[in-house]
Amino acid sequence: MIDLKVQPLDEKRILISGIPPVLAAMLREVPEILELRDSPDARARLYPNPTADNDKINQEWRQMAGPELRHLFVSAGETVGRDLTALAVDGESGDAWRVAFPIEHVPAWINALNQARLILGEVHKIDEVEMNRTDFDPQSAKHMAALRIHLLGYLLHLFVELDSGDEPENRI
Amino acid sequence: MAPPIETGQPGVIIIGETKAKDELSSPWNVIVHNDPINLMSYVTMVFMRVFGYPRVRAETLMLEVHHKGRSLVWSGGREQAEHYVRQLHSYQLLATMEKSET
Repeated sequence: MIDLKVQPLDEKRILISGIPPVLAAMLREVPEILELRDSPDARARLYPNPTADNDKINQEWRQMAGPELRHLFVSAGETVGRDLTALAVDGESGDAWRVAFPIEHVPAWINALNQARLILGEVHKIDEVEMNRTDFDPQSAKHMAALRIHLLGYLLHLFVELDSGDEPENRI
Repeated sequence: MAPPIETGQPGVIIIGETKAKDELSSPWNVIVHNDPINLMSYVTMVFMRVFGYPRVRAETLMLEVHHKGRSLVWSGGREQAEHYVRQLHSYQLLATMEKSET
């Protein structure tokens, strides 16, 4: 039984505990995934046009909003990258891992986890069919990307529930 | 903005009706488009944060995005529409704005 939890450690810190080794390995890959944000496919997804067909507005938008968005995304990734250096084996729960970080970093974690999922989706051309897949071939880069998107999504979902105050259904 | 029109009368010029002003005052729709990656719970959270919608309304709009491929999530002035689209993009949702036909 995996007991992944995202919860307040105290008034100032959030703790992710019960991180299974496979998810810990994926989390360590997040900074590397985020570096792909400037690849052509990822750029088109992370910095979309604000209109379907107004070239003037779209061009102005790219000049005005693009740098601001990129700064936000880079900053979130750097924050999470620094927090992840504290990722360590949880002595209380066997081979699970844990990481604690300041509570004000939660928006950065939500942003970075979602960025990583979207970048994986674009780089590996993951569509609705791939997202609904239940069997994953370890030899397939596309299948493994879909699996990573799901696992990072599970953690993201726990952050969303934490944010909304809902009781998390946090057992896999 | 249209240039002012000289009338020939001292101190009197006519400022033409401007297209820019029309565009600013006409309603614009903010549309969110479906994508296969974003979580339903995440999209609901974003609608609640960005627009201040109650959970039930946010979930209704999220489901419309999911089932119909897009949802009109807000309508109003252009500047505010731009503000919302920018916020939605910061949350990595696929959002566009378009001038309302009504």
